Amino acid sequence: MPTEAPPVRPSRGRAPGNGLDMRVPLLAVVAVAVAFIVVWPVAQVVYRSLIVDGGLGLQHYHRAIVQPGNLRALSNTIWVGVASALGAMIAGAVLAFLVMRTDIPGKAALRTLLVMPYAVPPFFGAIAWAQLLGPQGYITRPLLALLGLEQAPFSIYSGWGIVFVMAIHDFPLVFLTVSGALERMDASLEESARTAGAGSLRVMRDVTIPLVLPALLAGGLLAFISSIANFGIPALLGLRARFYVLTTSIYASLNVPDFPLATAKSVLLAGVGAAALVLQWRLQRGGQRYTVIAGKSIHPQIIRLGSLRRPAFALAVAFAVVISILPLLSLLLTSFLRYYGAPLAAASLTLKHYAYVANQEMIRRALANSALLGISAATITMVLGTFVAYARIRARLRGAAVLDTLGMLPYGIPHTVIAIAMILAWARPPLALYGTLWIILLAYVMAYMPLALRTTSATLQQVHESLEEAARASGAGPLRAMRDIIVPLVRPGMVAGWILVFMPAFRELTMSILLFGLRTETIGVIIFNMQDSGYTQIAAALSVLVMLLILGSNLIVRRATRGQVGF
Amino acid sequence: MDAVAVSDLWKTFDGVVAVRAVSFSIGPEEFFTLLGPSGCGKTTTLRCVAGLEIPTRGQIRIGGRVVSHPEAGQFVPPEGRRLGMVFQNYAVWPHMSVFDNVAYPLRVAGEPRKAITARVAEVLDLVELEGLGGRFPHQLSGGQQQRVALGRALAGRPEILLLDEPLSNLDAKLREQMRFELKELQRRMRIPVLYVTHDQAEAMALSDRLAVMAEGQIAQMGRPAEIYRNPATRFVADFIGQMNFLPAQIIAAEPGTARVIVDGYECRAENPSGILGQAAMAVRPEDMTLGDEGLPGRIGVRNFLGNLVEYKVELEGGLTVRVQAPPGEFHEEGAPVRVGIRRALLFES
Repeated sequence: MPTEAPPVRPSRGRAPGNGLDMRVPLLAVVAVAVAFIVVWPVAQVVYRSLIVDGGLGLQHYHRAIVQPGNLRALSNTIWVGVASALGAMIAGAVLAFLVMRTDIPGKAALRTLLVMPYAVPPFFGAIAWAQLLGPQGYITRPLLALLGLEQAPFSIYSGWGIVFVMAIHDFPLVFLTVSGALERMDASLEESARTAGAGSLRVMRDVTIPLVLPALLAGGLLAFISSIANFGIPALLGLRARFYVLTTSIYASLNVPDFPLATAKSVLLAGVGAAALVLQWRLQRGGQRYTVIAGKSIHPQIIRLGSLRRPAFALAVAFAVVISILPLLSLLLTSFLRYYGAPLAAASLTLKHYAYVANQEMIRRALANSALLGISAATITMVLGTFVAYARIRARLRGAAVLDTLGMLPYGIPHTVIAIAMILAWARPPLALYGTLWIILLAYVMAYMPLALRTTSATLQQVHESLEEAARASGAGPLRAMRDIIVPLVRPGMVAGWILVFMPAFRELTMSILLFGLRTETIGVIIFNMQDSGYTQIAAALSVLVMLLILGSNLIVRRATRGQVGF
Repeated sequence: MDAVAVSDLWKTFDGVVAVRAVSFSIGPEEFFTLLGPSGCGKTTTLRCVAGLEIPTRGQIRIGGRVVSHPEAGQFVPPEGRRLGMVFQNYAVWPHMSVFDNVAYPLRVAGEPRKAITARVAEVLDLVELEGLGGRFPHQLSGGQQQRVALGRALAGRPEILLLDEPLSNLDAKLREQMRFELKELQRRMRIPVLYVTHDQAEAMALSDRLAVMAEGQIAQMGRPAEIYRNPATRFVADFIGQMNFLPAQIIAAEPGTARVIVDGYECRAENPSGILGQAAMAVRPEDMTLGDEGLPGRIGVRNFLGNLVEYKVELEGGLTVRVQAPPGEFHEEGAPVRVGIRRALLFES
């Protein structure tokens, strides 16, 4: 028998005759693009934070940590993050248990309502809650009248106000992680405890809760990461009370301007976020290790609430209404009121704020800017994402996995830091992009690259290779197979992915507030500035319009993915 | 003329040889199977025939036409080979109805609409899916999806039907039933089949001829009964059916046969490769008898299988062997017994 290997013919990829021999040079181009968009700016931030008078030094970090104001911002970031995450965890765990493991009525509707806050941009939440709980708020005034007080014993413009709004915004993260874990848990784990003689509360304590704990902690860490990276809420609720967290303190350092200090704070912020992210990944992996995921869901233990069923339902509905409906109602009402604080009567309703919005040149330009930026960012990230995903999953090209990792890198970087990175990398000749739409676009592309990569990979992975091969075996050439099989199968996922990038990009605030210039305002910047300078009704009217767009897009996503993506 | 002729086929992936000098041919109405454990190169060979892999070396001809010959720079892509192929996971397109799935090869070939409708109806009838043309794959059971895949593979009147472990995703009962249906279908259509499986019982039941593969090479090729009766290597003997292996000492060798001593018991064994000295003696469970003659031992576990009874017998020498006996003959667990050997083969130990 022959044992000698024949001369090896180099084989390019797996599927022969694809006519895609341009793949390798294209991959090189994409690699350069990713390095250009992701690696170079991040390196700039770290580098600049270490440069002191032309040499290397830690002086900026010393200032960023030891100076009283900066230390306060750092500690505020931590405690606000921890407190809001704890709030989200308590509410998230309780409601996930109620919805998943009790006989509470109206589960489907409750679920939909409870995840709503995640679709509302955080700074819209801040605007709405300022309208509700501010000194003249829709809730504050009747409450004061009821209690016979002159002044409210609380202020929404404070650290606790920030914690409150952040906890509401991050609540769905915990709720979804915990209910997901409860849903995937193998019912037989609980049943075996029952057969071993444990009552249903005992099972809950001994089996269910320990098994769900990793998911709860992972959800809490996600909430923490989202809180510390948030800019809109602490900016709208904290700046006027001189309550700073890292994101707003970086914003302030840029306004001074003190770039070295801003970079040092950015590295600190990114460091805290990265630490939390690593912890979260480890927990999630650990959770997978002992959360037995059966895939098939048999009837899990349902606890009968008995006489508590109605009160529990009432409380859950009240909670859902407060976090999901109330803020939107507040925005809607404010946008139609003749003046903020006017009595609630037909006579005091008006459309003049919408008319103002429609006629303002600057606002129209901002809407156009945001639309252009959103469309461009979604298209660019999806095209790059599709290419990387195809190279990695289908063509199995070497180097594609590295690209994928690089592209996912921004996932761990707070958007404020991304904006700083863009300024450092692209604000000086030969590419002086600061003040143009280009620098905002680059920031968006970097920030939303991970989202696009994940959706394109997931979509492409769903289309098994054999589906394409079956077409080839049926007599279809490579292009025909692409047209008849691959494209129709990935189209819904790609449309959904595009919109999932477009939606947050369209109403983006955190990066554009640091990067906008004359004539390059985004709609997020306009809404923020309107609210910040006291035009809360204009801010409300614009928020209502943007929310309508978000909810409409969500419907499209749900339809395109048959309910798998969206809320 | 042969439907498929593969000669000296090699395929390497990044320098690792997956298929090594494989040659075989399939007759015009023959059901031919590549059988072997996972990683033996059978699927790669099939994919080379399909054109889904580019071979490193060797010639493949389908219907007399060379479709792949790297040395001569010849390669016909899969769509030019007039194939029908059924994939292990069926690969039924989820966005197309049953009708559209089956019609696809005809549409690609540009056949007129009327002819397509008629042919699809004919094929759906053939795979027993009549009336289900409007359904979508997610509305079908696994068995039905498999029939769609089969119908799609047959619709274009292919020169060769390629089947890649098509039954491995079905449950045991359905698998048995599909075995018969596949063979009946093949007989009726008079179409050559290249079948790939790791299931030796399936291969024995279906094939006119089969090739047992191991480590990228064909270990033995022949009719099922022939391979079962006369396995060429110890690997084939072990892989096909059940086999007991006993260490044996050859005391006298004659051409093609030998006298051996096993556990102190002397018997005769076939010795096709003329081994001397130590050997591994292979005996099928049905070639052993339980009685007063042979190797002394004790009945271990008894397994009633309906048409026969299987015993584990612990031999005095310490070995355990499997013996099959007709259900009329009955031995108690723990009873002393002697194991006789009717027919044995010798392999290198």
